[in-house]
Amino acid sequence: MTVGWLPWVVAAWLFGIGLYGIVTSRHYVHLIGCLAVVQSATYVLLLSIGYRHGAGPPFFHPKPPGTPAVDAVVQVLVLTDIVVGATVTALLLALVQQLQRRRGVVDPQQAAPLR
Amino acid sequence: MSPRVRVALFGAAALAVLPALFHVLPHLPRFGDHPSPYGDAVTASAPVARQTQNIVTALNFDYRGFDTLGEEFILLCAVTGVTVLLRGARGEETSARPGQVDGRPVLPPSESVTLISRVLGVMVLVFGLSTSLHATSTPGGGFQGGVVIASGFLLVLLGEGYRGWRGVIRSEFMDGLEAFGAMLFAVCGFAGLCVGMPFMTNVLPLGTAGSVWAGGLMLVINAGVTCAVGGGFAVLFLEFLEETRVDPGAEG
Repeated sequence: MTVGWLPWVVAAWLFGIGLYGIVTSRHYVHLIGCLAVVQSATYVLLLSIGYRHGAGPPFFHPKPPGTPAVDAVVQVLVLTDIVVGATVTALLLALVQQLQRRRGVVDPQQAAPLR
Repeated sequence: MSPRVRVALFGAAALAVLPALFHVLPHLPRFGDHPSPYGDAVTASAPVARQTQNIVTALNFDYRGFDTLGEEFILLCAVTGVTVLLRGARGEETSARPGQVDGRPVLPPSESVTLISRVLGVMVLVFGLSTSLHATSTPGGGFQGGVVIASGFLLVLLGEGYRGWRGVIRSEFMDGLEAFGAMLFAVCGFAGLCVGMPFMTNVLPLGTAGSVWAGGLMLVINAGVTCAVGGGFAVLFLEFLEETRVDPGAEG
């Protein structure tokens, strides 16, 4: 296989493009979306680490236990991370909503430091 | 700091990291050929030792249940934070009147939308419950099931309008559901400790793999996670949708 390194490049690219979005962001909601892109780089990385050629899902019905399966540990990490990440995104959006209401600022580059 | 300086700094940092990335990439394990000793150990032991067909559930609620408990409380903290921020700023009183954009009338949902939402809402709810109940015997579980159940609640908003949604989905119930789920998980973990057993010891009968009742204590923890995730996401939907309603003070 010549594409042995492709998933790592995709993960690095997602991380980099998300970081670029955060650096240049002009709106907090956009910034949170970019943060989700950075986070999804970890999903690609974890699931790629767990993948194994010729192996099935870590679930044994009807195939008998003992047949090759991909790594279930990283799948668990990604599963809980997606659900918890969604609630943390909601928390960030609530913070943005309060910032907009209290101080009328939605542009990270305009926001003065909190005192 | 001007935007131009920011991008220049980012570019400089990226250029500094890039050679390291290119140096590391060829030496990383090849895709699809990575050794996973922990995964293999669990995959070999779980179908017999825990009588589960779904290894992900066995890991989530048993082998690394302690870790999942921590994640469960991150979820609880995030939902609590959203509630404190939004409800705290808005006040406790609720209003069933939806807000509206000036010049745009609030139209009631059409009959076809109501019909489809009522049919689909029940189906999504049943599907979510089924996903969650068959945690050990199918690729399901409390995290996925809870999110599906909560998204079924949103169909109430679509079909019945804001007033109907507020009437059906009660904030007190959803708050309680979430807290109960997290508590059930914590009790399952710490109950063993109180009688001198290791944390989260699977004391209940394990059953046989393939049955809905297989898994022992995992089923109780799974029920707790379903309640916590379903209730938590419903609270989030409620709190954000409350932001769109008419301010009771301004209503006069």
